[in-house]
Amino acid sequence: MTHFDRRDALKILGAGALAAGGSFGLPGAAFAAREKEMNILCWEGYNSAQVLDPFREKEGATVKAESLTNDPTMINRLRSGESKVWDLINVNNPWARKVMYPEKLIKPLPKDEFMPFFDKMLEQFHPPYRWAMSDDGSELLGMTQRFGPYSYVVNTDKISRKTAEETGWDLFNDDSLAGKYGILESDDWNVFNIFLVAGIDPFKEHTPEEMQTFSDTALKVFKGAKVIGDIATMNQALVSGEIDLHLTGGTYSVSPARADGFPEMRAITPLKGPMNGKGGVSWIEVTSTVNNPDLSPLATEFLKYVQDPKVAHTVAFAEGTFNPVAQMGNKACFELFTKDELDAIQWDSLEEEMARSVEYDIVPDYEKALDLMNNAKRQRS
Amino acid sequence: MSDAALGAAGTTTGESRPKGRALRGIPAGVRCASPVALFMALGFLAPLLTVIGFAFAEPRTFTVFDSFTLENFAEIFDPADTVWMSFAWSLALALLTVVLLLFVCYPIAYGLVRVFGRWSSLVSIAFVFPLFISENVRLYGWTLFFINHGVLDGLLAQLGLPGPDVLFTPAITLFGMVYTYLPFMLFPMTLGLSMVPADLVEAARDFGASRTMIWREIELPLAMPGILIGALLTFVLAAGAVAEAKILGGQSVIMISHDIEIAFTYSQNWPRGAALAVLLMLVIGGLSMAVMARLDLDRILGRR
Repeated sequence: MTHFDRRDALKILGAGALAAGGSFGLPGAAFAAREKEMNILCWEGYNSAQVLDPFREKEGATVKAESLTNDPTMINRLRSGESKVWDLINVNNPWARKVMYPEKLIKPLPKDEFMPFFDKMLEQFHPPYRWAMSDDGSELLGMTQRFGPYSYVVNTDKISRKTAEETGWDLFNDDSLAGKYGILESDDWNVFNIFLVAGIDPFKEHTPEEMQTFSDTALKVFKGAKVIGDIATMNQALVSGEIDLHLTGGTYSVSPARADGFPEMRAITPLKGPMNGKGGVSWIEVTSTVNNPDLSPLATEFLKYVQDPKVAHTVAFAEGTFNPVAQMGNKACFELFTKDELDAIQWDSLEEEMARSVEYDIVPDYEKALDLMNNAKRQRS
Repeated sequence: MSDAALGAAGTTTGESRPKGRALRGIPAGVRCASPVALFMALGFLAPLLTVIGFAFAEPRTFTVFDSFTLENFAEIFDPADTVWMSFAWSLALALLTVVLLLFVCYPIAYGLVRVFGRWSSLVSIAFVFPLFISENVRLYGWTLFFINHGVLDGLLAQLGLPGPDVLFTPAITLFGMVYTYLPFMLFPMTLGLSMVPADLVEAARDFGASRTMIWREIELPLAMPGILIGALLTFVLAAGAVAEAKILGGQSVIMISHDIEIAFTYSQNWPRGAALAVLLMLVIGGLSMAVMARLDLDRILGRR
């Protein structure tokens, strides 16, 4: 019979404490461990094995990535004290410059090391690129990579590209299309788009009358929607014929369906709209180093790693969604894209669609508009 | 080495002796369990207290216990706020799920206890097995079944029949909830029915009781604790359901858990999300307490 006494228990506890010290450890040990450890908070794509595994191998590092699908949640994670956890944050363009840097959630990048990368990007990103810089233009706050227009998607077998572009956001005011469209579950973008359907510029302070129009429009648009869901649901509903179009959508959401053999599904940017004549909205991801008191030195290495033409191409076609990347301005990167890949990301119309779009910005009265929109959403039942 | 000997060996000064004596007054089991109990208290109570703290914080703030206001609750109870609709849908669909599952599960539970014999284990496994697959995957599977040109539509088209337009409706949300929570009703109900002594049923039959009378006077009352536990468990889980309404229902209705999620994410209004969560806890907790008060757990666990 085996006896298990207090002495054995103490030995096991001691061994356990040592083992725990190895992984969680004392401050000194933790600091040493960060040399080979990095954590990224990002949109899907950067968390894929295709992107991360070669970097893990190259650096012999443990790289953890968590993907989320909205910017406010990611920023709240930093605000709630997770700045100590994350090394990189990847969000849409206005947040670094307008929110995270003023709130000291991110730290600037060394300009001498990173500014030259912008020279090789597509022309619109040439330095000093506004969204990568601090408000006063003195600091470089992040690196750009994926981008794209993001307004709505139609099945061009049901509604022609010409009609969709010319009609613009009024498609969603058309009673004959009620029950034939979906709404992507992307509430911050839906706020922009309900304003646009109402014929109002979203990115300004709104009068009470404009907010009332917004509320009425939200009620109408949500009541007329057949389905609200994620990207997979929207693409599935489009392909199966459950819906003919959906709002909030663009290259980011529809490219997987196009790559899967459904080129008739197309992201549309309206020809005109209420934002100084422009009707579309585009997004540009900016990846910044978090203001982590113990920032991993691998964070800046990773930002350099994803500038490599091959890695940039992998990022563009990482699992989940397929998108153009700023590094396509580099011939060595552009040549890696096949004809089918260029077609999936609608390269043929990308430049004109970006020109017809304003860049994603922060809505000054977003909270009020979101509350009105959520009230409208509940009333659709 | 005894506890007393360890206590004596470990105390070298006079000051620490009373502490040792005080510890000796606590049963060994409690002393051994205290680290785990402390860990559980921290793991369970700390998040709960944080949520409650946030519920009383200024709207749209990210610091807890820094401010105190009832504004979040006032906002929720404001007639202009339609969040009551989410509460109503969640509670109504949860109630309907419980009612439907009572009817669906009773014959199956009866079969498992009285009819299927040696096949009972296999039938039980068939009901348990789906739980090993992620709920979302199972629900997406149902979407493919019901969608246009999907499995059902394709089968009916081959028979020359039109496919039903059921996806993205409140009815399909209810179907998803009934499907998801079926095992949570079935197994407590089976346990309840298994505790009805067969001798008692036979005796009643010998004395001339009809099948309905046996069911009403013997089976149902004796199985009631299991049935109530199943109903309670199903209701609590269903009231917090969100995936069915999102995936199958296409958000044709907004559930309260979805509203809580929106408050914590897109709205960046953690205090509102916390206030909604506290209200949901109160509603579900109140109902649970009311049901638990009617249960005799000792009897269910076979101690009497």
